Amino acid sequence: MTRLLSLPNWLLGGVPFLVLLIFWWALPRLVEFPAYMLPSVEVVANGYYRRLLDGSLIGHIGISLSVLAMGFLIGNALAVPIGIAVALNANVRDTLMPTLTFLQSIAGIAWVPLAIIWFGIGYGAVLFVIANAIFFGTLYNTIVGVRAVPEVLIRSARSLGANRWQTLASVILPGAFVQILLGFRTSMAFGWRALVAGEMIAGASGLGYITIEAVQWYSIDVVIMGMITIGLLWLLMERFLFRPIENATVRRWGIVRDR
Amino acid sequence: MDRKHTQGDELTAATHLRQRFEPLLNGRLARFMRKPTLAAVGAIVLVALWQLSAVVIDLPITVYPTPMSVVAEFALIYSNGILVEYTLDSASRYLSGVVIGTAIGLGAGLVLGLTPFLYRMFQPIINFFYSIVDAAWIPIFVIWFGYGEKVILIMLVYTVSFPIAFNVITGIKIIPAVLINANLSLGASRLQILANVIIPSILPNTFAGFRVGAGFAFRSLVIAEIIAGSSGIGYMIFDGAANQMPSRTVCGMIVLGLLWLYVEQVFLNPLERVTVDRWGPMREGDSP
Repeated sequence: MTRLLSLPNWLLGGVPFLVLLIFWWALPRLVEFPAYMLPSVEVVANGYYRRLLDGSLIGHIGISLSVLAMGFLIGNALAVPIGIAVALNANVRDTLMPTLTFLQSIAGIAWVPLAIIWFGIGYGAVLFVIANAIFFGTLYNTIVGVRAVPEVLIRSARSLGANRWQTLASVILPGAFVQILLGFRTSMAFGWRALVAGEMIAGASGLGYITIEAVQWYSIDVVIMGMITIGLLWLLMERFLFRPIENATVRRWGIVRDR
Repeated sequence: MDRKHTQGDELTAATHLRQRFEPLLNGRLARFMRKPTLAAVGAIVLVALWQLSAVVIDLPITVYPTPMSVVAEFALIYSNGILVEYTLDSASRYLSGVVIGTAIGLGAGLVLGLTPFLYRMFQPIINFFYSIVDAAWIPIFVIWFGYGEKVILIMLVYTVSFPIAFNVITGIKIIPAVLINANLSLGASRLQILANVIIPSILPNTFAGFRVGAGFAFRSLVIAEIIAGSSGIGYMIFDGAANQMPSRTVCGMIVLGLLWLYVEQVFLNPLERVTVDRWGPMREGDSP
């Protein structure tokens, strides 16, 4: 037990994965069940390898990521200005917020069926749902970020002769930046969920699509491949996209500003 | 003379009245009415734009619903009972999923948070499974359990339990060791420490996790009902769109929005206030 405790984290953390793999490998040899319920490790691994080599998996990943990127751009391009306007102006806030709150409470994915009618199955419908989810993820954080900028900073900038644009550019935006960035991150998580669900219901290609499409043919090896890919992609995005940005910006604006 | 006197009186009365009510109109009352008025303006403009767009686009009702067609559809699904039946279906699924998921999340979080060894061992695989987003589990569950209730329930339990477990673990990790040590040295048993130190300290974090889980689960409910359901509001939304009844789809979306607002305003927000008021500040005053 003490020897187990002193194992490095990666080795200890690998144990459950190993146990799971061994269990999966041993299961068909121990009990009888139809092969479509759970194909053997070899079949899944071979299928994964084959689809990785012939480029079909990469193609679907590329499609999914490009829709996500597009939705991210569109959603945020709308959310940040509207968020700033809502946060800075009481009239805009009181006029728009109740409606926006209601629209937000209609879960993003509930727009899929309507999006299918309007844009047809495929790119347009998925993009609409992703942009919708991303918009609301960023909007809330932008409002919070701008409202958190101390009033005294804004007033002192104004009293020193800064005009509205200068105040916005050099006081409000830098002050709200870390929170807006947090909004980007949150909205990316929302968008990723919307992407998978949207492609399953309304997609004609992409990771979510191939994963649900495989159910019709009972090709569970493709289903498992899709799940593993979806999980890995998210972990990679977190590790190589969010953490570096967060480290860089929090260090740049969070701590430096405090000095 | 007499008349003049009355006129003067009337004048003063009018001035008096104006003096009394003018500040009310320009001040408190106006301020009081401003928010609801502006909110109504926002909503009315949205509905008007929607109606206008329906006139401009001029598509058949089977493609582009109008405010009027949605109202009519509401009356229809209310009178034939679909609305109530589906709302109750969705609500009971959501409720049972959230309850079971919370129990599992709490249990798993406590066990993993209190046993560092298990936490170190299982953290990577839990992270990996959690990074496979909710919707991605539907296909394999459908193959294993078929379309229907089981898939929806498992989805809900999955989405609720993970955020709660994560937050319970965080809550345990941020308890100052000195609190536990002090209680131990004063002779508290393990069970007493669990009941008097650990459980109260993790409540705010647990609630934060519950909130996230409850929000995600609401979306999962809709996804699962669309893909695997044969009743419920999510099913109604999809079914309406698939059968050229987009008005029914919009009805379903409005019901969903109202349901979530209800959950948020009636359960989550008060619960949050209670948790923060009861355990947030008290903990600080508690340890002199």
